[in-house]
Amino acid sequence: MMMKKNIHLEINGEIKDLTVDVNRTLLEVLREDLNLTGTKKGCNQGECGACTVLLDGKPVSSCSLLAVKADGKSIFTVEGLAPEGQLHPIQQTFNEKGAIQCGFCTPGMILVTKQLLDSNPSPDEQEIKEAISGNICRCTGYVQIIDAIKALSDVTKK
Amino acid sequence: MKEYKIVGKGLPRVDGPAKATGKAGYTVDVHLPGMLYGKILRSPYPHARIISIDTGEAEKLPGVKGIVTGKELHNVRYAFVDTPRYPADEQPLAVDRVRYIGDEVAVVAAESEAIAEKAVELIKVEYEILPPVFKAEEAMKEGAPLIHDEQLEGTSSWEQWGVAQKKKSGEAKSGANNISGHSRVSYGDVEQGFKEADYIREDVFDLKATAHCPMEPHAAVANFDAVSGTLHVWLSTQGIFLKRFFLSKTLKIPTAKIRVHHTYVGGAFGGKIDLFPYEYCAAYLAMKIKRPVKIELDREEVFMTTRQRHPMTITVKTGLKKDGAILAQDIRVIADNGGYRGSGPVVVFLCHGFSYPIYNIPNYRYEGFSVYTNNPIRGPQRGHGAPQIRFSLDSHIDLIARDLGLDPVEMMLKNVRVQGDVLPNGDVLNSCGLSECIEGAARAIGWKEKRRQFSTAEGDGRYRRGVGISVCSMFSGAMYYPFASSAVVKLHDDGSATLFTGAQDIGQGSYTTLSQVLAEELGICLEDVHVVAGDTDLCPIDLGSFLSGTALVTGSAVKMAAADARRQVLEGAAELLGVDDINELDTREKKIFARKEPERYVTFQQAIQTGVLRKGNPVIGIGYYKGYDKTDRYPSLAKGKGLFTGAYGFAAQAAEVEVDTWTGKVRLVKAVTFHDCGYPLNKTIVEGQIHGCASMGAGQALSEEIYLQKGQLFNPSFLTYRLPISTDTPESVEGIVASLEPSGPFGAKEVGEGSVAGILGAIANAVHDATGVRIKSLPITPDKLLPALLEVLV
Amino acid sequence: MHLPEFNYYEPHSLDEAVECLNEGQRGAVVAGGTDLVVALKQRLQKPGFLLSLDKIPSLKGIKSSNEFLSLGAMTTLEEIIKSSLIKERFPALSKAAREVGSPLLRNIATIGGNICLNSRCRFYNQSAFWRSANDLCYKAGGITCHVTKRKNYCASTFCADIPPVLLAYGAVVKLVGPQGERTIMLKDFYTGEGRFPNEIMAGSREILTEVTIPFPPAELKSTYYKFRLRDSIDFPLIGVAVAFEADEKGRCKGIRLVFTGVGSGPFEFRHAGEMLSGSELKEELVAQVAERAAGEIHPLKTDLISPRYKREVAKVIIKEAIMEAGGGR
Ligand SMILES: Cc1cc2nc3c(=O)[nH]c(=O)nc-3n(C[C@H](O)[C@H](O)[C@H](O)COP(=O)(O)OP(=O)(O)OC[C@H]3O[C@@H](n4cnc5c(N)ncnc54)[C@H](O)[C@@H]3O)c2cc1C
Ligand code: SF4
Ligand code: FES
Ligand code: FES
Repeated sequence: MMMKKNIHLEINGEIKDLTVDVNRTLLEVLREDLNLTGTKKGCNQGECGACTVLLDGKPVSSCSLLAVKADGKSIFTVEGLAPEGQLHPIQQTFNEKGAIQCGFCTPGMILVTKQLLDSNPSPDEQEIKEAISGNICRCTGYVQIIDAIKALSDVTKK
Repeated sequence: MKEYKIVGKGLPRVDGPAKATGKAGYTVDVHLPGMLYGKILRSPYPHARIISIDTGEAEKLPGVKGIVTGKELHNVRYAFVDTPRYPADEQPLAVDRVRYIGDEVAVVAAESEAIAEKAVELIKVEYEILPPVFKAEEAMKEGAPLIHDEQLEGTSSWEQWGVAQKKKSGEAKSGANNISGHSRVSYGDVEQGFKEADYIREDVFDLKATAHCPMEPHAAVANFDAVSGTLHVWLSTQGIFLKRFFLSKTLKIPTAKIRVHHTYVGGAFGGKIDLFPYEYCAAYLAMKIKRPVKIELDREEVFMTTRQRHPMTITVKTGLKKDGAILAQDIRVIADNGGYRGSGPVVVFLCHGFSYPIYNIPNYRYEGFSVYTNNPIRGPQRGHGAPQIRFSLDSHIDLIARDLGLDPVEMMLKNVRVQGDVLPNGDVLNSCGLSECIEGAARAIGWKEKRRQFSTAEGDGRYRRGVGISVCSMFSGAMYYPFASSAVVKLHDDGSATLFTGAQDIGQGSYTTLSQVLAEELGICLEDVHVVAGDTDLCPIDLGSFLSGTALVTGSAVKMAAADARRQVLEGAAELLGVDDINELDTREKKIFARKEPERYVTFQQAIQTGVLRKGNPVIGIGYYKGYDKTDRYPSLAKGKGLFTGAYGFAAQAAEVEVDTWTGKVRLVKAVTFHDCGYPLNKTIVEGQIHGCASMGAGQALSEEIYLQKGQLFNPSFLTYRLPISTDTPESVEGIVASLEPSGPFGAKEVGEGSVAGILGAIANAVHDATGVRIKSLPITPDKLLPALLEVLV
Repeated sequence: MHLPEFNYYEPHSLDEAVECLNEGQRGAVVAGGTDLVVALKQRLQKPGFLLSLDKIPSLKGIKSSNEFLSLGAMTTLEEIIKSSLIKERFPALSKAAREVGSPLLRNIATIGGNICLNSRCRFYNQSAFWRSANDLCYKAGGITCHVTKRKNYCASTFCADIPPVLLAYGAVVKLVGPQGERTIMLKDFYTGEGRFPNEIMAGSREILTEVTIPFPPAELKSTYYKFRLRDSIDFPLIGVAVAFEADEKGRCKGIRLVFTGVGSGPFEFRHAGEMLSGSELKEELVAQVAERAAGEIHPLKTDLISPRYKREVAKVIIKEAIMEAGGGR
């Protein structure tokens, strides 16, 4: 029998008490138990950033994080960004600037962007590139993603 | 360029909000109640005979619901190419022989993926190792191990479509000398051309395999409704009707009893066209066990088993006049298609197809072979042959220009084709902005100034810069099942519209561009269009999103459907407005008015309601378009005869690189693409396609390489298969050349595939410009470049 | 690929943790897990239990006294990057931490995990299925090494970024186990053997709790140069840490050069001091050091890059790094 553990965490502002198998990743628990499928699995080995969530405000790869290790922490996924039916300015700008193609890297990119702008409201191009350097996008060549983040940083500056 | 209300604008994607919020459902996100999970047991050996398979232990594992091996499916065959000459050679599970590492041997369905993984490990297979062959040139030699010596029946999946049914007598048997496909085309007199030439040069180029790397791994979900006998599937695919056709053929159920459901597709790039064993297995297991089954591949499986770009060796010999006019060209291509045919015969045909639309060469000979080896299977990847052939041809042209002391740009301009040219197979270039593309790209990269500046720069600096250029072309759709696309536009009584299309949005933005075409033609707003797509029951037939046909072929169908709907609305409006001739009416923003008195109008809503009340006509518009109206079947792959496509997209690409001569690292500083896409239906989306293509091309030029040793893939991960990351992003400049293709909707044709190809040669040429070192094999890794630099520079 | 089954212990104190280690079966310590989780998915290890250090407060944080800086094993790389004290006094550490993997990893990856990182090889760091295509190599539990064809030998490559820097600064580490606590020089923690690159992997059943580095004299200049093909995600192909001390005239008083990515453990080139001491850092002389150091490393083809290439690049980055540390650049 697989060992289980109770964990207590906050997900998108909601307190949750869960019982999880100790050998499951946070990504599996989010997608399979909590139906938060906005968090994607691209590689399952910490190499692509599709599974990015914010853990206590910082972007991490949830595929390489044991769910039990999230105990006592706050998790933020793409679903928590804007109320149902609305778009957060980052989501809006990503779409306007063409930063979304197939959309599979998008949730991760958007969360990294959120943390970047939260901690540095007007990053320069190099800072933007570094911030998203753990998130692989195969579709866009990053150009329009970088443009979108630049546009957002300009907005924050004003 | 004509200004329109909706097309041509960089409007936000219609599927953007769903994707930005994480609400968009991909196949990997599909979850059905009672769903089982499948996992495939694969061969660890490149070439072996299966002696026995023991599933006993695995069956005993609690939670295992079914195991299938090849024996049960021994008579199922299918393939991307399935003609009398090239009969289908793939099976969902190996019956008695495995031909590459990763070949499918058995499949397990279990209550969880973890259990299925465990069960797979418990299956015992006894193999007899067979001698393998890994190099195409060796595989072609007499006495090499034959990878497909089975006698396959010369039937074809397409026979009921009237496509050649029997092998003609005298045709070579496919598979001899491991040759899986052969193309031979010639026109003019090459030998005579060489005789008349002032100058002749020959070069050999080679390119490694590469991977598509869509960020969404391949996945399939299947559910069988035993009551109605309907199979429901969710697939991550580029073409729903093609998949349905193959599933119907292999599972032996009528096409109408298979329903492909809509899902978003997390990238494809050519790697999600073929029918894959995991898809067949999910469907087969669902039918057998009567529970939904999901199979999602690991990233490693995606790398190993879902097709790669063909590695190739390409020999080019060209004869020219002193002034740079090309007289004769002889091209020979050898492509390694791995353990199964994949798209081998197609890619060796396409290397010709993407070579000859560019330069006007009076005497030309082309021969291409695809060859079986015990490597992973190869299939279409974005450009399908174009990256390989364009890299080779334009590296070659650059070398020639250097030899002759000519400017490559001028040499290209001298030889390129122009609008109105008729290609030797009969295709007509009704639109061709190739010269404008070359001129634009050269200007944007600063060709004249930089070339001079860099080549006269001090010779001992660590970092050196150079510029290079290359050109490419791509079909805008071609003949392939189901041979045409169609669209239905249904109007609602509030004046809004639903578009039913079978085209897949794989990220390239087709839902948006097709909606724009519809809104523009009909005279409504983009917000008023809903898209229903991806569902074989709901949507009319479509070619699918490959061969770059969506904008032109499906776009034309949508435009026709919208025009049909518009005419019906106008009839209702004409009555209300008291106008006799509907041609006197115009539409805009859901209003219909008389051209002469624009202040008098009725709304769409009023017109539609009137139509319903008077005639009962709720307004449904229908449109269809065939890839190419002058032919009813695909061209001969072997002889390059027949018409290929209705329109060619063109691009010229230029690169500025900076070479670190101490480490051999190449940084792409600037990438320029001038693309003749006919007309940009959505500017932002067209630019996005260009940036994405340039990035993929840069990856293929500099770092992407499937690293194989004895058929084993050493880098099946994003850590070791190095895709471009954000910090590799160059300054990316794009120019859109609008040549207005007469057959395309609003003049649109291909974008999104061709311009992956030119950047390869542009970079190789730029590296040469910067350092004097020519690398004729891709990718140009530091490991390869540095020794060459050390030789030249010290 | 799913994780194998294991038990999971999450002690709240070191004592409790040590008790867990005493259990009969073999377990593995999990810190951030960025490396271990992948290794488990690939079945490179099959521990009976994981011992999480998450809830042990004493392992967290950066402390400093007059003479020493101490980093708890669970200090994340992000915390190191953020520390202005480290940036100022240990710039090489700051720089090395900033270049580990990608930002997503650095937010959970720890310094302890980085110090204890297993060495890597193209035949080893693959899935269980992948490895089944060949006989098991020595590190994987078989006999023969696929890279060198030698028996009972493993040439897998150590490629953690932080240890060379710590070694250049003369760090010590504290290990705690059933036998008690010991503090050893970091260099003695490494075995230099590919199969079991450090004391803990060689079976000492300990936990690394802390790494301590003496504050260097103000004249000490240090840097870390990492060479990788992409500026993020990738491990180093080769990395070199330099600590350089000059006299008042700018002549070399002492120098340490420590490498990663070139052998089965961190590698210190010991002749730099004798070649440089008393001299100014002239480019030519530094080039000689670089040449000689590069001649002493023996990278093997455990990676997809050729050993020859690694050596060529070694020359370049050694020179760059020394010149930078010496203020020459
Ligand atoms: C895509 C990718 C890229 C990477 N790139 C780099 C890179 O560029 N440079 C680099 O150095 N690393 C890299 N890594 C490896 C790894 O992320 C880092 O080395 C990280 O610092 C490891 O820390 P961790 O806390 O996550 O370790 P864990 O994964 O928790 O542990 C690593 C190993 O150390 C042991 N261990 C951990 N802490 C202790 C302790 N306190 N006492 C005893 N044993 C312990 C574990 O049992 C395990 O064997 C990369 C990893 C990935 C997935
Ligand atoms: S160096 Fe040899 S023994 Fe070590 S991991 Fe690689 S193949 Fe195995
Ligand atoms: S899925 Fe987690 S990093 Fe790729
Ligand atoms: S949009 Fe497709 S991977 Fe980024």
